Amino acid sequence: MTLFELVLRSMRKNIKHYYLYFFVFIFCTSLYFVFVTLQHDVSLPDRMDGGSVFSQAFLAAGFLLLLIVSVFTIYANRLFFNRRSREIGLYQLIGLTKRGVVQLLLLENTLLGIGALVAGIVCGALVYRIFLVLISSLLGFDGVVTVHFSLSAMYQTAAVFAVLIVLTSIQMVRMTYRTTLIDLFQAENRHEHPSTPANGPAAVFGLLGIVLILYGYWQSGRISQNTLFIGSLAILGSIIAGTYLLFRVTIGWLFGRIRRAANGHLGLRRALSLAPLMHRMRGQANSLTVITVLSAMTLTMVAAAYSFYYSAGKDTRNALPYDFAIENGESNAAKHFGEELDAKGIRYDHRKVDAIRLTGKICAVPSLSACEETTLLVLPAEQLRQTGADIPVPEPWNAAMYDGNAKLDRLTQDPNADLPKTIEMDLLKSESGNKLQLTDVVNRFAMNYNVYGDQLVVSETTFRALKAGMTALPQYEQEQMKERPDYAAVAFDTFQVPDKPQRKTASEAYAAFVPEGSHPFDYEREYRDKLQSFGLFIFITGFLGLVFLISTGSMLYFKQMTEAEQEKRSFITLRQLGFEKKDILKGIMRKQLFVFTIPLAIGIAHAAFAVKTVSVLVPSSIVVPSATAMGGYVLIYFIFVLLTMGYYKKIVKAAI
Amino acid sequence: MNTNVSQKTMLQAQSIRKSYGKKGSAQQVLKGIDLHVAEGEFVGIMGPSGSGKTTLLNVLATIDRPTEGKVLIEDADVSDMKDAELSAFRRKKLGFVFQDYNLLDTLTVKENILLPVSLGRRNRSGAELAYQAIAQSLGIEGLADKYPHELSGGQKQRTSAGRALIHRPALVFADEPTGALDSKSASNLLDTISKLNLERRGTIVMVSHDPVASSYCSRVIFLKDGRIYSEVYRGDKSRQAFFKDIMDVQAVLGGEAVDVV
Ligand SMILES: Nc1ncnc2c1ncn2[C@@H]1O[C@H](COP(=O)(O)OP(=O)(O)O)[C@@H](O)[C@H]1O
Ligand SMILES: [Mg+2]
Repeated sequence: MTLFELVLRSMRKNIKHYYLYFFVFIFCTSLYFVFVTLQHDVSLPDRMDGGSVFSQAFLAAGFLLLLIVSVFTIYANRLFFNRRSREIGLYQLIGLTKRGVVQLLLLENTLLGIGALVAGIVCGALVYRIFLVLISSLLGFDGVVTVHFSLSAMYQTAAVFAVLIVLTSIQMVRMTYRTTLIDLFQAENRHEHPSTPANGPAAVFGLLGIVLILYGYWQSGRISQNTLFIGSLAILGSIIAGTYLLFRVTIGWLFGRIRRAANGHLGLRRALSLAPLMHRMRGQANSLTVITVLSAMTLTMVAAAYSFYYSAGKDTRNALPYDFAIENGESNAAKHFGEELDAKGIRYDHRKVDAIRLTGKICAVPSLSACEETTLLVLPAEQLRQTGADIPVPEPWNAAMYDGNAKLDRLTQDPNADLPKTIEMDLLKSESGNKLQLTDVVNRFAMNYNVYGDQLVVSETTFRALKAGMTALPQYEQEQMKERPDYAAVAFDTFQVPDKPQRKTASEAYAAFVPEGSHPFDYEREYRDKLQSFGLFIFITGFLGLVFLISTGSMLYFKQMTEAEQEKRSFITLRQLGFEKKDILKGIMRKQLFVFTIPLAIGIAHAAFAVKTVSVLVPSSIVVPSATAMGGYVLIYFIFVLLTMGYYKKIVKAAI
Repeated sequence: MNTNVSQKTMLQAQSIRKSYGKKGSAQQVLKGIDLHVAEGEFVGIMGPSGSGKTTLLNVLATIDRPTEGKVLIEDADVSDMKDAELSAFRRKKLGFVFQDYNLLDTLTVKENILLPVSLGRRNRSGAELAYQAIAQSLGIEGLADKYPHELSGGQKQRTSAGRALIHRPALVFADEPTGALDSKSASNLLDTISKLNLERRGTIVMVSHDPVASSYCSRVIFLKDGRIYSEVYRGDKSRQAFFKDIMDVQAVLGGEAVDVV
């Protein structure tokens, strides 16, 4: 038999064995090709403001993709090498030199790698159109999409994955030269010898693992803007170290305690779940930590992206409560805009809202030293309610601050924590009452956020008194002559367009009424911009998440496959002892649940805290979208549990 | 020795045939075997390599099904029991000892021994007593928390015997239990097992290629080419005398009579 025939034979055998590995490899290659093509696609960014963001995003996505593919292939490669060690040993026994074995493995790896690469690029090119349609609809582009097959994307994909093939080849060569013949024959039986860890140190490190994770969680709830970078690094380090200890020591230690309590009376189920887990977890602490951290990362990414996308409408409403708001003084713009809308046959609701703008100091109550000088925009609650806004009327001389960034400004601190505060308006004489009580901070805006001044809402009577006090000032008339008066009575013309398609037409018309060179802040435009960037974000994280999920799931699956083969002998023994297949499978099921659920549960816990920290960026609630995203993740994840159970079932069925 | 043997039938095999492979090209390994084992007997099965000893034992032990024929254990026909029924039967009535121990390597000695009695979790104290008793008779009380890889071959086989005997099975099957042991641990183990068997009035069927091991039996059956070739009873003979008898039959059986493992 020639070397080539040998290679072909073992490849045919291996393809059946490693179908999932090739599926993942092909999937990743296709996706990478798609990402790179999108990155270089000139037609798409043209339609988006900020084309560079677009290609940057795909560049980053491609990079992350490569990272996970590398981790995955190197892990899988090592596992497969161990699995095939007997075969490799046999080749050497029948007289093949190490050099010959290396040639065989390299040839095989290269042929398979190139095969997967070509298949991946072809698949990628075939599905590219689907991706393009998907991304266009996510980003709200309309019209036909044109597909450009990018040669440079193909070269880049080929080059990058060729490097990966070279890397795995080097790994194979090293493994072959480093292992002796006896190692090869014992590799299958050489799973870590079980031993009971010393109780004292195990308890210390086991608890330390839990403490580190809890410390990380606790810190993540206290992170502030000025310690953002160092703080996040510390949290990340603490949580990763804790996770490692959890797998390396804590779980084994806890299981050991349960086992000691059983005093030998373990029972079949625990003999099949607790006992093997307790011993295997330690040896796999590295890979389990990687899997958990990757899962947590993916979940955070996907949950955050989906939260942003999901709440884009609500968040925009929080920032721009009115579809259009025109401040007075802008030369009859409001009147003309109204006429324009009439001319276009657009139904709308037009209301005027009065306001005053002046400077003031916001002070903490006990000590007057902690004051913050700012420009205030005072709005009457009753008039806002007239426009349909859901704004409660404060008590006389009380004020509520409406600030859509309140949560972000204070990061995780409760914005209402140090209330009430006082608001002093030095300008106004005290006889008219120059002091307000700040009793409430609401995490949204009362008037479109682009208008100048911190938005305070007071009752109509309080507003009238303040306004009267201001206009009665002797220097008031003179101040109004200025280009930018320090204080003034202002009015807003608010427009709401209830019908969505009409709102879009109105938004286009609105741009003409905005002063030259300034950005038109209107709801529709802002909402579309948001959808576009979050659509891109969700597109990328969605597919990256899928890759991460499939990779980590496959890693666990491969590992379980190997373990199932190692445990074959035990299953036969158990059958001989008179245990039924279904009882044995129940025990195995429990082990699978642990194997898959522990990293998943810890990953979800990590992600939940990470998402909570990120949630300051999303004014509206993140619970529903995050839970949805995580639910989807868990669902796909459990496909791997089913796959693994199927494999075990086959092995147990064959065991007599 | 025969005082332990009662008239009650424990195991009965009726014209057992077993073939492997597809019809047409099937290879018949057992060619009609009839066997009768009374309660309390210690039966040895010997024969050249490939003569079908393991196959016969597996068929008798319900691990494998005969192609033709019937196996009755305590008058119950096991050859047409359903899997669930068979499993329950094995767990309650049978015990197994194998050449390569078949211990679960993630379980300690005690956990391994307790495995067969751990399915019903009601009588934990009863199980504990049974464990203490069997561990003591086998001399492995000190090894309770050791894992299989920390044990010598003899200790492993004692553990395996402990697991086979803890639930006081009516019938114990052993396939070359001393095959991987040195002669001293082998005699030690056989001494203990036959003593235990005497105390508990159990029945043992043991495959062995070793005449010394077989000399512990009360009767030895010789297989050749899938048929029973001959059998010898120990009667009231000493073990040494019985050993000589066995050697004599083996000499007749053929040149390469002694199995090479
Ligand atoms: N599962 C099987 N499939 C096919 N042939 C088998 C199988 N098991 C045993 N044999 C054949 O049956 C014959 C008897 O085997 P066995 O009972 O193991 O012999 P012994 O234990 O006496 O050495 C051998 O020729 C062997 O090749
Ligand atoms: Mg045999």
